[in-house]
Amino acid sequence: MKNVITLFSFILFITSCDVVEGPYLIDNGGITPVDTSSNTYVKKVLIEDFTGHTCPNCPAAARELEAIHDVYGNQIIGMALHVSTGFAAPWTGAGKYEYDFRTEWGTEWDDFFDISNAGLPRGMVNRIGYPNEHRLGKNEWLSAVITELEKEIDFGISITCDMNGNEGTITVNTELINDVVGDYNLVVCLTESHIIDWQKDGQTDNEFYEHNHVLRSVLSDESLSISSSYTSGDIIAEPIAINLTTLEQYNIDYSANTAINGNGNSGGWNIENMSVIAYIYDNTTKEIVQVEEAHLMNK
Amino acid sequence: MKKIFSTIVAIAIFSTLSIAQNRTLPSVDVKTLEGSNININTIENDGNPIVISFWATWCKPCKKELNNIAEVYEDWQDETNVKLVAISIDNARSMAKVAPYVNASDWDYEVYIDPNGDLKRAMGVSTVPHTFLLNSKKEIVWQHKGYVDGDEEELLEQIEKLAK
Amino acid sequence: MKKIAILFTALSFSILGFSQENNGEFHGDFDLSMQSYQEDALIGAEAADEIILNNAYLNINYTKGNFSAGLRYESYLNALLDFDDDYKGNGIPFRYATYIIDGLEVTAGNYYEQIGSGLIFRSYENKGLGVDNAMDGIRLKYSPAKGVYLKSFIGKNRTYFTYADGIIRGADAEIDLNTALNFESKTKIIIGQGFVSRFQADNNPKFNLPQNVAAYASRLNVINGRWSYSGEYAIKLNDPIGSLTAEGNNYANGYALMSSLSYSKRGFGIIAEMHRVDHMEFRSERAQEKQYIINYIPTLTKQHTYSLLALYPCATQSEGEFGTQIDVFYKIKKGSLLGGKYGTKISFNFSSIRSLQKGIKYDVNGNEVTEISSSFKNDYNDFTPKFFSKNGELFFNDINLEVYKKINKKVKATGVLAKQSYNKDVLEGKTNYGIVNSTIAIADISYKVKKGHTVRVELQELLADGGDGSWSMGLIEYTVSPHWFFAVQDMYNWGNHDIEKQLHYVNINCGFLSGSNRFAIGYGKKRAGIFCVGGVCKEVPSSNGFSLTISSSF
Repeated sequence: MKNVITLFSFILFITSCDVVEGPYLIDNGGITPVDTSSNTYVKKVLIEDFTGHTCPNCPAAARELEAIHDVYGNQIIGMALHVSTGFAAPWTGAGKYEYDFRTEWGTEWDDFFDISNAGLPRGMVNRIGYPNEHRLGKNEWLSAVITELEKEIDFGISITCDMNGNEGTITVNTELINDVVGDYNLVVCLTESHIIDWQKDGQTDNEFYEHNHVLRSVLSDESLSISSSYTSGDIIAEPIAINLTTLEQYNIDYSANTAINGNGNSGGWNIENMSVIAYIYDNTTKEIVQVEEAHLMNK
Repeated sequence: MKKIFSTIVAIAIFSTLSIAQNRTLPSVDVKTLEGSNININTIENDGNPIVISFWATWCKPCKKELNNIAEVYEDWQDETNVKLVAISIDNARSMAKVAPYVNASDWDYEVYIDPNGDLKRAMGVSTVPHTFLLNSKKEIVWQHKGYVDGDEEELLEQIEKLAK
Repeated sequence: MKKIAILFTALSFSILGFSQENNGEFHGDFDLSMQSYQEDALIGAEAADEIILNNAYLNINYTKGNFSAGLRYESYLNALLDFDDDYKGNGIPFRYATYIIDGLEVTAGNYYEQIGSGLIFRSYENKGLGVDNAMDGIRLKYSPAKGVYLKSFIGKNRTYFTYADGIIRGADAEIDLNTALNFESKTKIIIGQGFVSRFQADNNPKFNLPQNVAAYASRLNVINGRWSYSGEYAIKLNDPIGSLTAEGNNYANGYALMSSLSYSKRGFGIIAEMHRVDHMEFRSERAQEKQYIINYIPTLTKQHTYSLLALYPCATQSEGEFGTQIDVFYKIKKGSLLGGKYGTKISFNFSSIRSLQKGIKYDVNGNEVTEISSSFKNDYNDFTPKFFSKNGELFFNDINLEVYKKINKKVKATGVLAKQSYNKDVLEGKTNYGIVNSTIAIADISYKVKKGHTVRVELQELLADGGDGSWSMGLIEYTVSPHWFFAVQDMYNWGNHDIEKQLHYVNINCGFLSGSNRFAIGYGKKRAGIFCVGGVCKEVPSSNGFSLTISSSF
């Protein structure tokens, strides 16, 4: 009899379920995006969205990224990396999907983090979880973002751009907020938004799809400093001279030299829509500890 | 971790070798063709040998084995009083087809279904067909993985040894 | 992991301690598959960096009276290419202890469980597919009266070497009415009711999400003489994925109905089945992907084993489909005109899988976004497909006839004719391929050379315009009972539209069987394709190389 009671109490305890009635939307859940315009540094999160222009499910991931950005504001920084032969190779001469959005660096990271092999869309949120649980489906991004936003920051990054036509200097200043010991790298790269080009979206071929935060070039990926210990208050300045014409040509050459279905990158960069993303990652865990974004043309 | 594990394995294998002689049927529920539950260790054949054969409606060699034995089953029974228990590992996809298939095939076996592989795992069956032979005490005395034409003759030899 | 190891060492030692006095039983099984990967640019096979990849499993079970315990050691160094590479390294991801006392069965640790047909819950393993969603937790089973079976469980589902976030609670009751009420009748009735609920915290700042997602299933099984009916109906309550986008969450309930009716007598059996599935995918974490699925909607098509019949296999679309299937088994009597000396066996199968009624999904502004064909509900949409749809899109269609005949003491022959239609876009998640229609013919003849020696020849032909075009396949197999087998097969894609892809896929296999050990080595090329076992399918890459498999049980 005792057993019966045990069993039935067990059954009772599990008969719980929630039925949510509409409206399902709560107004931003009381979240006000942190004011990122002030001079104090805040934790920011980089979402690297591995995608492809012929990947039918990828726009859904891009929309998820925008939705996360809508809620958390400028604390969320997005980057779209077109990778793989299956989903990102240009369809040469097909009248659509002729542009090659891939870059040498995107392909390298895709190989290193083994993303597209597991199918697209997939992404990384500050690259946490490496080496086994870093590949996240779009619906896992939110949880990872929430976890990341709660982390304390040791670094603050500020970016200033000084462009004169296609040439200029980008300066990335890293300010130490706490004493830190470790092996850190600083990566500086360029992305471009508002590119209108073909994208497969579900079963439709959309000629006027807006591609945002597309990785264009990596300007630097080096040790933050030669020393491995940093003192609070230190400021490390990294000035980088750039020439957009050269960088653009580099991608065109890369596409032409890619063994499989290359020769689809015709450049066409629009400097007005370009941004600089700078981030610092821990060389041991690969985790991105801080990230910052600025328009290339300071408006 | 590795050391601990290899110790466990070593001891386990050692003790297995020393006591593997009297392996019996596990206590696991299977389904009858009518959908009721029955514990496999309650099957009986009055002290005569029992053959347990794992099969599935989608497994060609399994069906070949059971069809080939079906042709000679009456002779086997006359000679040795053996009983064949066929355990289908068909899951929910093809479970409903088991009874019609068995009836249509004219098999005289006792047939049970193990839809989620509980008995299969408990008996260490990784692929079908897999055939076990049980002696009068329902201890496993012989087993065979796979089936090729003619294998039933070896099975019969083993049964005859027991029936003597 | 360390804790587990210590626990199990302790457990194993204590088991061993008393096993020596009480003669408990140890048994288990071992499986190893090893494959080398060489590059073959023609078929698109890639070489593995490791050259050789390896999967191995060792199961050990210990039984002593009403107590049993066991564990499984798994080793992926590194996992075979057709496995997800999240299987990496070694470990003991499976361990359990069970005891039964006065009819109460208690299991702690890992276990596999299924409720009814699995419409709302199935945790199972299939090494061929690399699926293992074992539970880790507690399970109780109890039979309070004759013919009444209760079980309840709680735990988390395994994914690779970790466990999903969701906590799964489940219960099931089954009553065998004839036994329980103790009456003898020609009609036998069994009823069952199952319940599953998943708990996962709601961390979505923008949308209200249910934290406890429940699913119910009721089932009925009636047998009256030669007739048998079984049916199951399941409902899954609101289970949105937790997206932040305006249209990303679907709060609709999911439904599944399956029903089968059969009649059989000696020499004849017929079975008709149907199912209707609507938004019924259930996962161990709301935001997760395929490998987190914890329920099972059986595929309503025949599971083929001849390679060209299985070239384009069907997989259930849990988000929505309507399927029907009919099987007929008939044995023509010995001595009749068609039956001949030994009788002739005929089996016929027809299946058809279609989408549910189509509808439109709208965005925040009421603009059409896309076409949908399953229940969908959020602040801007509320669509439920009608039970029957006149113009559902075809997913899969298969009509096939198999005849088996023993011609004389030495020769047996099987012939198969089939016609299949396969919606490549839906079933493989691709676009612009459309439907592949194929016609398939197979002859399978075996000849007994002498006692124990058999030679078997298989000839298969598939004619198709879409997909990879037409194929031919030939196989010769020589077996020596009870120890040896040897086989050579060639699959030739002569009808591929791309002349460079008109390739031969040759495989050579031989093996040695001895009692409870089986060794097989092979060499050959595998085509990339969809590989299915038990209604679950996965895409595997093409490969080229040697393979070794050892399987053994003790």
